[in-house]
Amino acid sequence: MEDEWEPPVPAGYNDANRAFLQGFMARGTLTFPQGQKLVAAILAAANGEPVDPESISQDAFANFVRTAREAVEPLDYDIRSSRDQLRNGERVWAFINAHSDPPTQMATTHTAEEVAYIKRLMDLMFDEYNTVRMEVMAVDEGQALKASRPKKGRESQHPNDQDEEDQPSTTTSDRGLKHSEVLSLLSSLVAEGWLEKSRAGFYSLSPRSLIEMWSWLVATYNDDSESAKDWQRIKFCESCKEIVTHGQRCSEMDCTVRLHDICQDRYWRTRRGEKKCPKCETEWTGDHFVGERAITARKGYQRGRGRAIGNGSGSRNGGRSDLEETVAAQQEAADEDEDMEEA
Amino acid sequence: MMPPTQRQRRQAVESDEDEDVHQRPDSPADDGNSDVDHMHGVERDETSQLIKKLVRYALACEYSRTPIRRDGIKERVLGIHGREFKKVYAGAQKQLRASFGMEMVELPTKDRNLLTVEQKRKATKSQSQKEPTSNSYMLVSVLPEYLRVPDIIAPSKVQSPDGEAAYIGIYTMLIAIITLSGGELSDPRLRRYLTRLNAAENMPSSNPNNENAPSEKTELVLQRMIKQGYLVRVADNKNAGDDDAITWHVGPRGKMEVDNEAIAAVVREIYGGGQQNEDLERKLQASLKVKERKPPRSAAANRAPATVQEDEEDSEEDEEPEPGRSTRRGRHG
Repeated sequence: MEDEWEPPVPAGYNDANRAFLQGFMARGTLTFPQGQKLVAAILAAANGEPVDPESISQDAFANFVRTAREAVEPLDYDIRSSRDQLRNGERVWAFINAHSDPPTQMATTHTAEEVAYIKRLMDLMFDEYNTVRMEVMAVDEGQALKASRPKKGRESQHPNDQDEEDQPSTTTSDRGLKHSEVLSLLSSLVAEGWLEKSRAGFYSLSPRSLIEMWSWLVATYNDDSESAKDWQRIKFCESCKEIVTHGQRCSEMDCTVRLHDICQDRYWRTRRGEKKCPKCETEWTGDHFVGERAITARKGYQRGRGRAIGNGSGSRNGGRSDLEETVAAQQEAADEDEDMEEA
Repeated sequence: MMPPTQRQRRQAVESDEDEDVHQRPDSPADDGNSDVDHMHGVERDETSQLIKKLVRYALACEYSRTPIRRDGIKERVLGIHGREFKKVYAGAQKQLRASFGMEMVELPTKDRNLLTVEQKRKATKSQSQKEPTSNSYMLVSVLPEYLRVPDIIAPSKVQSPDGEAAYIGIYTMLIAIITLSGGELSDPRLRRYLTRLNAAENMPSSNPNNENAPSEKTELVLQRMIKQGYLVRVADNKNAGDDDAITWHVGPRGKMEVDNEAIAAVVREIYGGGQQNEDLERKLQASLKVKERKPPRSAAANRAPATVQEDEEDSEEDEEPEPGRSTRRGRHG
C-alpha cells in the first residue's frame, strides 16, 4: 500500500519512551527525583532487575524528556520546565496542552459552576489582589470564599478582558458554589497540582499552572495597548524572565522591576554586588515583596492584627517565621540547578 | 525491548483492521474511502490535522472517563469532513499506538438481557441484521504487561492520586465480585459485600486528603461508577418493591478495563498469598477462563501478572490497588 501513512515519532522511539510518557501524563509534573524514580522503574521492568533511582543521571532523564517532547509536539502538547519559585527553585517539568485555555483544560473534570468559580478566583489573584501597591497574587480562604458567587450588577473588574468574559448571560445563570463546595474544590485543585496552599494559608498558582497558563495569563490580565514600561499585572523576573508571583520588587512603587528570591544571588553576582535597581537605580532593599509576603511581611500583620487588603478578611497570625526560613533556604540554594536549565 | 518486532506486529494487526479503508481505492463510489489515494499533498495535510484533533479528543475524553463517541467525533473533530471517519480513525489509532502506547477500543454494546421489555421491542424494530455496535470507544494502554506496573503508571492525578487509587480499588473489587457471581448481583447481596468491605455507608472521596470531605456517600460513588460505565444497575419493574428487583451488572467500561485477567489477579492477590497455587489456578480457569499463570520469565515478568503495589501497609480491603491494570488505561495483552 503506497499511502501507508506513518505517524511522526522520534527516531528510536520505543516502549520505554511510551511508558515514560504514560507515567508522566498520569503525574502531570515531574521533578528530577521523581523522574529518576520513573526512569528507574521503567529500566527495572525492562531488564528484570532492580535499578537504583539515584543511578539515573540528569542526562538520562533529560533524554527521556526530550524524546517525549519530540513525540508529543506534533500533537500540540508540550513538555516545559520552570523553576519552582518556592522550594529552593527546584526545576519542575510539566506535560501541558499547548493549545487551550487552562480553565477549559480544568473543565474536563469540573462542572460549569466550578469552572466559572476558577475564573473568578483567577480574577481575585491577578486583578483584585494584584494592584500597584500590593502585588499579592494569592488569596486566603476567606477571600476565596467571597468569590463563591458571581458578583451581581458590578461592572467588570478588569477592563482589558477579552470579549468572551463577563457576559451578562453567565452571571444570571451561574448560581455559584456553596462555601463547602468552594473548600472542596480548592482542596482538589491543590491535590491535582494546580494550586499551592502556603503555611500562612494563602492559595497561589502552582508551577504547573504557571507553566501551562502563562500565555493565557498575559493575554488575559496584561494590556498590550499600554506602553511596555507601564505597570502590568503579570510581570517577569529581571534575571530568568519567567513570571513572578512570589519574589521581590523594587522599593520604588512605580518601578516595574521584579526579581525571584531564587534568582537574586546569581543576579547580583552578575551585577558585581551592586544592589541597585537596574532600571531606576533605587537601592534594592529586598524587603518589598510580590506574593503573600506583600501582606504577611507588613508590620500590622506580624502583630497579629493584620488585615488583608481590600476587605480586611485575611487575618492570619504567625507564618512569618516559617516564611523567613523558607526565604533563607531559597537564597542558599538559589543557583543550584544551573546545569538543569535544558529540558 | 524490541521495537522492530513490536512495530511489525502492529502493522500486521493494522492492515487487518483497516482492510476496508486501504484495500478499496479502486472502488471510488464507496463512501468516505474514495479519496484514499489522494492522501498526499494538501489532502494529506488536512487528514493529518483531523487525525491530530481526534487524538487530542480521545485523550481529553479519557481524562474525564467519558466514552469517545462516534457522534462526538463527528461533531467535535470531523465537522464538515464527516465522511472521513474511517480514515481519520485509523490514522489516530496509529498515532496513539506509536506515540503514547495506547489505542481506542470499542466498548461492548449494552447487554441485551439487561434491556427492559420495551427497550427490547424498540431494538428489534430498529435493528437490522447488522451486528450491533456501541459506536463508543475508550483508550487503553497497549504497553507490554511488564511496563504496566504502578511504579511506572501511577494512579492519575486527576482529582487526587489517593482518591484515584481508592476509586480504582473499589470498582475493581466490585467488578470482580459481580463477575465471579455470574455477572449479576442482587442489590441486597451487593450491600452485604459493601458492608464486609466497610463501605456500606461511605467510601473514600475523590480526594481523601480534603479535610472537609475525606469520604463520600457510598450511593454517590456508586452513581459515579454507573455514569462512567463501570457498573450497571437494572431495576425490573415487574417485581417492583421486591428486593430482588434491583440487580447490578458490569458496565461497558468496566468490562474493558477490568477484564478476566485483572479479576484473576485480584483473586490471586487476596487468596493466593503471592504463591503459585495450583488449586486456585484451576478454579480461576474454570470461572474466568484465564490463561494459567506462566512460570515467571524473569524478575520483571514475575511482577507483571499481578501488578500489585508492593507496599501493603495501607491496603485495607476496600483500597486494593488495581491488579493487572495499574492504570485505568490498562488492558490485557
